[in-house]
Amino acid sequence: MVEFSWAPRSPLEHALVTGAHGTRGIEAGVSLTEIRNFDLIQVMARRGKGAELAKAAKARFGVTAPDAPKAVQGKDATLIWSGPDQFFVLSAGGKHTLQTLVPALSGPASLSDQSHARVLISISGVKARAMLAKLSSIDLHVGAFLIGAAAATSMDHTSVTLWRGNDRPDGLAVFNLLVFATFAESLWHTLLDSAAEYGVAISHSEELA
Amino acid sequence: MAGAQTHRLGNGGLIDRSAPLNFRFDGKAFSGLQGDTLASALIANGVKLVGRSFKYHRPRGILTSGSEEPNALVELRTGARREPNTKATTAELYEGLEAASQNRWPSLRHDVMSVNQLFAPIFVAGFYYKTFMWPAKFWEAIYEPAIRRAAGLGRAAGVADPDHYDKAWAHCDVLIAGSGPAGLAAALAAGRSGARVILCEEDFVPSGRLLSDGGTIDGVPAAEWLPRTLAELAAMPDVRIMTRTTLFGVYDGGTYGAIERVNDHLPSPPEHQVRQRLWRIVAKRCVVAAGAIERPIVFAGNDTPGVMMASAMRTYVARYAATPAKRLALFTNNEDGWRTVETALGAGLQIAAVIDARADVSPAHRSLASKGGFPVLHGAVSGVDGGKDGVRKIAVSLTGGARAEVEADGLAVSGGWNPAVGLTSFHRGRPKWRDDIAAFVPDGAPPGMVAAGAANGDFGLGACLSQGFAAGAAAARDAGHNGTPGAAPVADDEAFSLTPLWHVAGKGKAFVDYQHDVTASDIELAQREGFESVEHLKRYTTLGMATDQGKTSNVAGLAIMAAVSGRSIPETGTTIYRPPYVPVAIGAFAGHHRDETFHATRLTPSHHWAVEQGAIFVDTGLWKRAQWYPRAGEKDWLESVTREVKAVRGGVGFCDVSTLGKIDVHGPDAGAFLDRVYINTFSNLAVGKARYGLMLREDGIVYDDGTTARLAEDHYFLTTTTAKAGLVMQHLEFCRQVLFPELDVQLTSVSDQWAQFSIAGPKTRDLLKEIVDPAEDLSNEGFPFMGAREVTLRGGLKARLFRISFSGEMAFEISVPARYGDALVRNLMLAGAPFGVTPYGTEALGVMRVEKGHIAGPELSGTTTAADLGLGKMMSTKKDYIGRVMAGREALIAPDRQVVVGIKPADKARRLRSGAHIIPKGQTPGPGNDQGYVTSVCFSPTSDRWIGLALVERGRERIGEIVHAHDPLRGEDYDVELCNPVFYDPDGGRQRG
Amino acid sequence: MRIVCPFCGERELGEFTYLGDAKPVRPEAGASEDEVFDYVYLRDNVAGETNEYWYHGGGCRAWLKVTRNTLTHEISSVEPAAGAGAAKVGA
Repeated sequence: MVEFSWAPRSPLEHALVTGAHGTRGIEAGVSLTEIRNFDLIQVMARRGKGAELAKAAKARFGVTAPDAPKAVQGKDATLIWSGPDQFFVLSAGGKHTLQTLVPALSGPASLSDQSHARVLISISGVKARAMLAKLSSIDLHVGAFLIGAAAATSMDHTSVTLWRGNDRPDGLAVFNLLVFATFAESLWHTLLDSAAEYGVAISHSEELA
Repeated sequence: MAGAQTHRLGNGGLIDRSAPLNFRFDGKAFSGLQGDTLASALIANGVKLVGRSFKYHRPRGILTSGSEEPNALVELRTGARREPNTKATTAELYEGLEAASQNRWPSLRHDVMSVNQLFAPIFVAGFYYKTFMWPAKFWEAIYEPAIRRAAGLGRAAGVADPDHYDKAWAHCDVLIAGSGPAGLAAALAAGRSGARVILCEEDFVPSGRLLSDGGTIDGVPAAEWLPRTLAELAAMPDVRIMTRTTLFGVYDGGTYGAIERVNDHLPSPPEHQVRQRLWRIVAKRCVVAAGAIERPIVFAGNDTPGVMMASAMRTYVARYAATPAKRLALFTNNEDGWRTVETALGAGLQIAAVIDARADVSPAHRSLASKGGFPVLHGAVSGVDGGKDGVRKIAVSLTGGARAEVEADGLAVSGGWNPAVGLTSFHRGRPKWRDDIAAFVPDGAPPGMVAAGAANGDFGLGACLSQGFAAGAAAARDAGHNGTPGAAPVADDEAFSLTPLWHVAGKGKAFVDYQHDVTASDIELAQREGFESVEHLKRYTTLGMATDQGKTSNVAGLAIMAAVSGRSIPETGTTIYRPPYVPVAIGAFAGHHRDETFHATRLTPSHHWAVEQGAIFVDTGLWKRAQWYPRAGEKDWLESVTREVKAVRGGVGFCDVSTLGKIDVHGPDAGAFLDRVYINTFSNLAVGKARYGLMLREDGIVYDDGTTARLAEDHYFLTTTTAKAGLVMQHLEFCRQVLFPELDVQLTSVSDQWAQFSIAGPKTRDLLKEIVDPAEDLSNEGFPFMGAREVTLRGGLKARLFRISFSGEMAFEISVPARYGDALVRNLMLAGAPFGVTPYGTEALGVMRVEKGHIAGPELSGTTTAADLGLGKMMSTKKDYIGRVMAGREALIAPDRQVVVGIKPADKARRLRSGAHIIPKGQTPGPGNDQGYVTSVCFSPTSDRWIGLALVERGRERIGEIVHAHDPLRGEDYDVELCNPVFYDPDGGRQRG
Repeated sequence: MRIVCPFCGERELGEFTYLGDAKPVRPEAGASEDEVFDYVYLRDNVAGETNEYWYHGGGCRAWLKVTRNTLTHEISSVEPAAGAGAAKVGA
């Protein structure tokens, strides 16, 4: 009998090379970090069940699920608006899985596991906004896209979910990006091309910030 | 060391005398200074001849100092970076710059094509239409190449551009075009009010004509006011001044296009940087402070090198300390032209004469003339004596009829100013005529936009400042900012008086459009021949159609047309203004989207494993899919594909089918919903089973197909074809949200969540038993054909198994969460080694589906009905569904429709090709007897011959008939036999076994 | 062009897909061939205000009913399709 290994492989495993990219000899203007170990469950309210889902979500996560383009930090989970009547539950790997959420939410909602369907990239740095302006048509100005703002939008003709997390300890803004897994390598190269002139620091992490 | 800058003043100007720059023009070495444009550096070196004209190859010099330049177009840089038609007047000088003149051979000074001038009578308006009409086939072969060689612009590099371009978005409350006094005042007001401001300036230094014309603002010289103002703006965090950036287009909803020449001022962009960046700017309000363009007067010889716009002449003197002439004359019809005399005298140049078309000249200018010792001649310039070395003598027709001659080496011309009405007119706006300045001014503007200062027809410095400031403050307020703009900068208005003068009669060519060599007589001819409408005039004479878009020529052309047709200028009207305002490189529009990054690509979960295997990939939409897996020694794709097919049919193989669209259909009404979108019924599908489904468009034509499994009472897992994945999702959302909102159903794309592989062949179960937990029952009873359920794999991973077959073999599709796809494929190889497991690509997949008679993209062609595809029996008669009624239309159920049928060549050794037309045997091919075409072909290893599918009239009734395949594209004609499309295992025993 | 998505806010044209006239209403099951033909094919060619279906596929995937002037491109209203935001039905 053959012994099988079931090691998960990130869609960015091949493309992501930890370290510096682009212009050297300056402090990297953009930091790109792939977060690898997360669960992502799409929750879609059933017809007429919005209020019931809101109650169930509140009980589960301790916060009101967003019903507008926002990301809300709940208990062990970030709830990110992804469209009318729907939101994502993003949590550290194993925290809120499809199996654990179905009993709690499947009455008023339909759930789909998207943990493998997306890649999560965190973008920060003094040039993060300049670089994102090449990819995103969203106004990310400090006064226009506040902490907790979210957008279901497109980059390079590819659907993405973008939201602003808490600032880094040095006060710089952090932009989180969920991209489709099969597009991830392609979009990653686009991110690198866009950021190269500013100098890039590339890393990956198992920890969901 | 390059030659001395003989025409450079000893002091003054905004050039850095401590930073000399070497450059070459037509191979000759020159030296300029940091802060120069190529034009100003050439002038500083005494170069007058810079190009040859488009049609007549006449010698031309520099006419302007800005982006309106029609003459001084050069090929900038060399090799792959060579860029034709670059304006010397806006190209910044850099160390090592190389430029070449255009449109001359063998050299600029001795251009053999200048003989075109001798044939000038035939190069009149409309000459292309008149001369090269017959015979038609000569056009492409002879006329056009010859014309392109003789008349034309610069040469493109002819090789791929080595530089990168990108695109970016910007957002602001107030967008300002132009940084002259009006633009700066607008920025001050808007910025102080608290608005987010973007100011675009096409020059590399902000400040517009303040740099050349100076003035007194708030009681101090402009040179003092400017740094103070720029510093105040720079200190505002939300005010962004973008130099080297031209606002070129206005689009709907407050979206603007701008081109930033990020690194055009360097020999090549620094590593990792782009050459140019295309900006899409979203602005709540826009203030157009783009200024005005001085216009020439049309007179004989007005294109002689050394004839220059008066404002450009003083720009070269004041800003660049470069002297276009040592002894110059001014020809003006307005007060403003005299400023050039003032500037020239201040720089110590000689004034030969001022020719003023107005009846009166101000006392101040009279005394200036007497102090300067030059005459003021009332009249007009009627001719210029000179050639490629420039102006020598100027003929003047004096008011009253006498003639005079003026000796000069330069002639400054001012015919008045045309406000830059492009941006305000881009939404089909028609500017209106203002008599007092004899110019068109904006008459309204696209929503949210307003013009201020010279762009609005108000040329005085004081007016520019106050209008700009007011416009900036209003724009900020409209955008929701109520800060205090404070006091507006104040200045006096200069006197402005003008007597319109467009065209001076005289002997010799008098040019209206310099770039396209359109003369006053061309316009008169057009009028005589009936091309009076401005749009006809433009196309017949090509007036204003060159890369400069007639910035210096359009209004004069209209005025001449008005005069000869006896109408007023406003009656004559203007042509439609369209973006871009300046030429924009295609590379900038493409940005990142070129070569390998032309579009985003999608990779399957097994992609990198397949790369390791040496797979050949094919682009399928955005996807890269493994097409086949060549092995050492295989001589071509056919050998590899044949091996893969045989391995599957005789053993076991697998193929990544993750590219199929996958949609979770959830909710209590999921079944009812699917019943409405598919022609067949899904509400009665048992949990744990899958079913093949076909959906139609509302017009009754087949849209897409795929299998859908019911995983729970309220959960279906729907698959689509690879090609239509996104469109089907959109269609289903339309059905859910628009057509059937009463249904409680939720849709989610889970295409990327699952890595899905088809495992096929008689040994499929043997392989699966190695992978799947032994407790799972995979027998025919425990997991029958079309079964679908979750299983546990060895090691505990959960997977989904679907017993479906596209290949016609015993087959399963297995799916695991996508990050395990790579592990699954490696484990399949490990576990399958004893069974000779063979990965197969899309080619083998295609071969097996043709052998099995399954339809795919070529048959789902957007013209076929379910019945055409042999699937008419699936159409439920017990329910309504999308496309049901229209599918019943007479023509869609006609008995003579082209339907799917199998074909095989009569000559067994023959290769088939798709696309061939089917003609009844014995008939001559033609549209009257075209009975269909071949849709899909393959070499069938199983039948050991080429086989195919075709859409053929009444095909299914004609099984066994020999017909003719006619392939005019490849010049092939051969007989084929119509046959059952299921070539392989027609009773389906293998897939059920 | 920019469209104010009722769910996402103002977004650029590239995020949206145009479908067509939103005026025709799909006939009930049992409608005649003529009625369905009209629904599928017959469109007014309006110079002025039209109602159109647009899909925010590059965003929240909502179908929208946009009132747009074909002469000026001015958009005067954007409404969600009946089934977009259906969780609030009855609330």
